[in-house]
Amino acid sequence: MRLELGNIYINDVKLSDTTKVENGVLYVNKEEMLKEIGGDEHIKSIDLELAHPGEEVRITPVKDVIEPRVKVEGPGGIFPGVLSKVDTVGSGRTHALKNVAVVTAGKIVGFQEGIIDMTGPGADYTPFSKTHNVVVLIEPVEGLKQHEHEAALRMIGFKAAAYLGKVAKDLTPDEVKVYETEPLFESVKKYPDLPKVGYVYMLQTQGLLHDTYVYGVDAKKIVPTILYPTEIMDGAIVSGNCVSACDKNPTYVHLNNGIIEDLFEKHGKEINFVGVIITNENVYLADKERSSNWTAKLCKYLSLDGVIVSQEGFGNPDTDLIMNCKKIENEGVKTVIVTDEYAGRDGASQSLADADPKADAVVTNGNANETIVLPPMKRVIGTTEFVDVIAGGFDGSLRPDGSIEVEIQAITGATNETGYVTLSSKGY
Amino acid sequence: MKAIIITNNPMVLEEYNSIYEVDFIEDSLMAVLLKTRDKIHEGHLLLSHPLSGSVKPNETIYKSVIFSKDKGKLDMDSLYIIESSIETARKFINTKKPPTWSNKTLVDFQEIDYTLITSGIESMTQFK
Repeated sequence: MRLELGNIYINDVKLSDTTKVENGVLYVNKEEMLKEIGGDEHIKSIDLELAHPGEEVRITPVKDVIEPRVKVEGPGGIFPGVLSKVDTVGSGRTHALKNVAVVTAGKIVGFQEGIIDMTGPGADYTPFSKTHNVVVLIEPVEGLKQHEHEAALRMIGFKAAAYLGKVAKDLTPDEVKVYETEPLFESVKKYPDLPKVGYVYMLQTQGLLHDTYVYGVDAKKIVPTILYPTEIMDGAIVSGNCVSACDKNPTYVHLNNGIIEDLFEKHGKEINFVGVIITNENVYLADKERSSNWTAKLCKYLSLDGVIVSQEGFGNPDTDLIMNCKKIENEGVKTVIVTDEYAGRDGASQSLADADPKADAVVTNGNANETIVLPPMKRVIGTTEFVDVIAGGFDGSLRPDGSIEVEIQAITGATNETGYVTLSSKGY
Repeated sequence: MKAIIITNNPMVLEEYNSIYEVDFIEDSLMAVLLKTRDKIHEGHLLLSHPLSGSVKPNETIYKSVIFSKDKGKLDMDSLYIIESSIETARKFINTKKPPTWSNKTLVDFQEIDYTLITSGIESMTQFK
């Protein structure tokens, strides 16, 4: 499967009477966009606000972040099974608007989290302070149940990204990257001397505000299966996960997964990157056993030499991570696990809720319990009403001057476990 | 499978009391975890993960855990999971205790815990 990904670099976003891209500027017709993404009976009103890198703006509580993309050639459309038919995507050509993100924000439940600061010390911790953000704010109808609210907000986010992505269809990209995964036997024949490496992609799947969808299927209902990496670049995996802001995978991260990018970078040179095994992180222990048995079985069946395993979230998924690692290693396949840590504010406590001697190659993306003071911002998009009660906040988090003292777990993407972050630790 | 639910969540009690044996305790999240450990020592098999959900154990005050009704020999895997879970929850709670929540937020937490445990029950009952 071969995908050409055409990147169009955007250096500003402005409101206008026509939605278009000109000289690297994305112009957005707000009225037209609201009309296109609105219409949900559960939603009273929708509004859009823009936030640019370097501005004194705080966006919170953030739900999802999505990159605008459009399918230009080849089967299917962006977000198959969700916005488009369930055609198998990942081949042909796709265009992406780079440096732009749709950010959905809003209060679904009384405790909330997810902060994006566009400047200041907090901005260093989130990749989404570097994107021009089109923030979608929704007001639900009175009495709307939490799951219906979450579903409505999720869909509006995807529609917003698809609406903006459409303008990229007829543009000439600034660069075109080609990603190709050959059928397994052909690939092994082509690179007989390179180690065969796979990626075990763990998806958050526990219930309300903790879900992920694959081609529109609730991923807690899947058994582990194989995807071409480029299917994921076309939106085969989308996020419905709103909890644990620092280490959840927003849809943007699924589309731009850094592990997939890096494995492609080394493909055909140092390794033979043969594909992605997706698996879930369920509540029921027998599901964990079954899914980890299957990831190990698939790794063995594919005769892999090594895999990278990435986690999403905290606590319960630590058990899935270690089960995957142990069982895959027991099949004779080497593993590197990618996670983050909750090691206490001083970093001295046990990092994960599970461990095993076989997990001897670990990449961390930072300690989510580290605290930070976020200075006041001139403008807040959303509300800071809940900052005392977000993950990692504490009584008095929101100070009278508008500054906030929180653990970095409150910052969207701060310790993302696919490495879409700047934090890490190195041993010397 | 015949199951027992230990919970301090009134919504779980209300929704599942007529279907399962629900051991409702009016106490903290940590008390539910400690009771879970007792049940494991009695020989019950742990069926759901005690750290279900990404809401941290010093944010939510609710917890529900599923067990087998049948008892057998002490299951070391269950014991290992609950001991690690208690250690992790203590780490969070010792850093910062849960704040005093509004009633609306408490209901939201109940709803989250209820949907988490329901996803476990759906897995458990999909092939009776």
